[in-house]
Amino acid sequence: MATERYSFSLTTFSPSGKLVQIEYALAAVAAGAPSVGIKASNGVVLATENKHKSILYEEHSVNKVEMITKHIGMIYSGMGPDYRLLVKQARKMAQQYLLVYQEPIPTAQLVQRVAMLMQEYTQSGGVRPFGVSLLICGWDNDKPYLYQCDPSGAYFAWKATAMGKNFNNGKTFLEKRYSEDLELDDAIHTAILTLKEGFEGQMTADNIEVGICDANGFRRLDPSNVKDYLANIP
Amino acid sequence: MSILAYNGGAIIAMKGKNCVAIAADRRFGIQGQTISCDFQKIFEMGPHLYLGLPGLSTDTQTVMERLRFRLNLYELKENRRIHPKTFSSMISNLLYEKRFGPYFVEPVVAGLDPVTFEPYICNMDLLGCLNVPVDFVVGGTCSEQLYGMCEALYEADLEPNDLFETISQALVNACDRDAMSGWGAIVHVIEKDKVTTRTVKTRMD
Amino acid sequence: MAMLNEYSGRNLPDYEFEAVKKVHFSPYADNGGSVIALAGDDFCIIAGDTRLSSGFSIYTREQQKLFPLSNTTVLGCSGCWCDTLTLTRILSARMQMYKHEHHKEMSTPAAAQMLSTMLYYKRFFPYYVSNMLAGLDENGKGCVYSYDPIGHCERSNYRAGGSAGALLQPLLDNQVGYKNQEGVDPTPLSQERALSIIKDVFISAAERDIYTGDGISIKIITKDGVKNESFSLRKD
Repeated sequence: MATERYSFSLTTFSPSGKLVQIEYALAAVAAGAPSVGIKASNGVVLATENKHKSILYEEHSVNKVEMITKHIGMIYSGMGPDYRLLVKQARKMAQQYLLVYQEPIPTAQLVQRVAMLMQEYTQSGGVRPFGVSLLICGWDNDKPYLYQCDPSGAYFAWKATAMGKNFNNGKTFLEKRYSEDLELDDAIHTAILTLKEGFEGQMTADNIEVGICDANGFRRLDPSNVKDYLANIP
Repeated sequence: MSILAYNGGAIIAMKGKNCVAIAADRRFGIQGQTISCDFQKIFEMGPHLYLGLPGLSTDTQTVMERLRFRLNLYELKENRRIHPKTFSSMISNLLYEKRFGPYFVEPVVAGLDPVTFEPYICNMDLLGCLNVPVDFVVGGTCSEQLYGMCEALYEADLEPNDLFETISQALVNACDRDAMSGWGAIVHVIEKDKVTTRTVKTRMD
Repeated sequence: MAMLNEYSGRNLPDYEFEAVKKVHFSPYADNGGSVIALAGDDFCIIAGDTRLSSGFSIYTREQQKLFPLSNTTVLGCSGCWCDTLTLTRILSARMQMYKHEHHKEMSTPAAAQMLSTMLYYKRFFPYYVSNMLAGLDENGKGCVYSYDPIGHCERSNYRAGGSAGALLQPLLDNQVGYKNQEGVDPTPLSQERALSIIKDVFISAAERDIYTGDGISIKIITKDGVKNESFSLRKD
């Protein structure tokens, strides 16, 4: 194997002490589709844009909101193919934990392990860092959780955050809108509103995706369901 | 002769009202020959978590060390105390990893939930097959005798002192009918705010 | 290689024949069953379960395992049932012969000694039976004799034998022999207490031993003769 690929890491320090490969990865994220996550008192919501380049495209054939295990879900900003590999690995980690401890993986544990994987891709030979940032939400210990996971392997717990294109505007918007005692329904509403900030063209149930996580577990909202929320938006 | 019965020993755990008890004999022998009378077969794995490992003594110690290794990593990684149920799955997993060259121990776990202080007991075979009953578990060379004693003496919802009396009588009388177990006994009664450890005098023959 | 194959003699069908197959036969079966006997000052109680089984199947749920040998002696057997049948038939014949020769019933200790001799006679092809002899001795005191399959005999006041022997014996040590109990004065065993202990321990044994269950038959031996009782156990 080693002979078939570079045996040294491509992510090396620049003379000024920066890892430019990681900065490029973050640039790829910042250029990617926007996504939002908000923690409410009784759940978490994840929302992202899923716009298509052509009207010929079959909508809802590829999903950006994915369930990792019953009580954990994930979305991303950045490169789709990289994301799918992370989804696959995250699902595997969740099952592995369940197999060993007969207990669902705590969200914090999953995030830690996914972050560990992403970090490995910044130091291993023959690989490049992931071109995605993840938003991971979960429900355990009767509490909602929301984490962001970056290509460097850094991870943060948020009350609400935005990533991808125009993420700064999104964050400013959330800072104004967020309150601690938000209900899940309001949070979904706010998340869609945040996406709508800087949304180019008409927002429909077919070009955004929403996932929610509460005591009943994680699920992706149906387009019909999303439509109901959109109806309440001016 | 089975390798499980090379060193001898007996362990038993019982549920009481808001408490659990775990007890073991203290003999370490090589087949019929007794080597020492202060051998440890029950290990404290947490403030409310005890693990008994009857069987081949070398495996008793190895399995304990390897579990302590995994447990320490778990508690550091997750930054919380392990639940006895989760710990049992961890043991089961460790044992099944050696499915075709097993450790010759039949673990017994007794503990209280770190959050709710719910009593928990379980045991498993040497391959890690879990058994979680509501009343009592036994293990070791005189498990038949222990089952006989427990079936007759056990009552549900015993207070800590009565539980101590019941588990001691069950263990000591069972050991007296097994040449490979006995030579002293140790009993731990685990309650929410304290653990009482007593050594029990037995006949030494 | 070709030459070897041609002359190896492996392709001569006329000379091929089936090799002799080794057929295994085991003369013993384990039909399970448990027997308990308790002796008091002026009585003796013996009880046996009524399940006859082999492996995972039950032959019958109402098999008596207790054999009265005289007015003061009862034998309880468990183990290989066919050996039990043979042994008890020979035993009762010997009891009969003794009666004719000596014009009196054989005493329990005498029967115990005879049983030991009979078992040892088959030292190298033993009766695969766990025996328990209960009765009253010459002084009218209860006595229990237990045996291994080749005739080792021990007199005691209480004993459990058979498939659940290991489960029951430590319990009898504790409850009848007052072993490991401090500050208890060993009151002599009363008939009522003996009976209730027997029922209790059999219920316990039936919980864990698959070869013990269905019911128990009890024989209470006093100077007035043998009284029968029965009690049902779990049937699964």
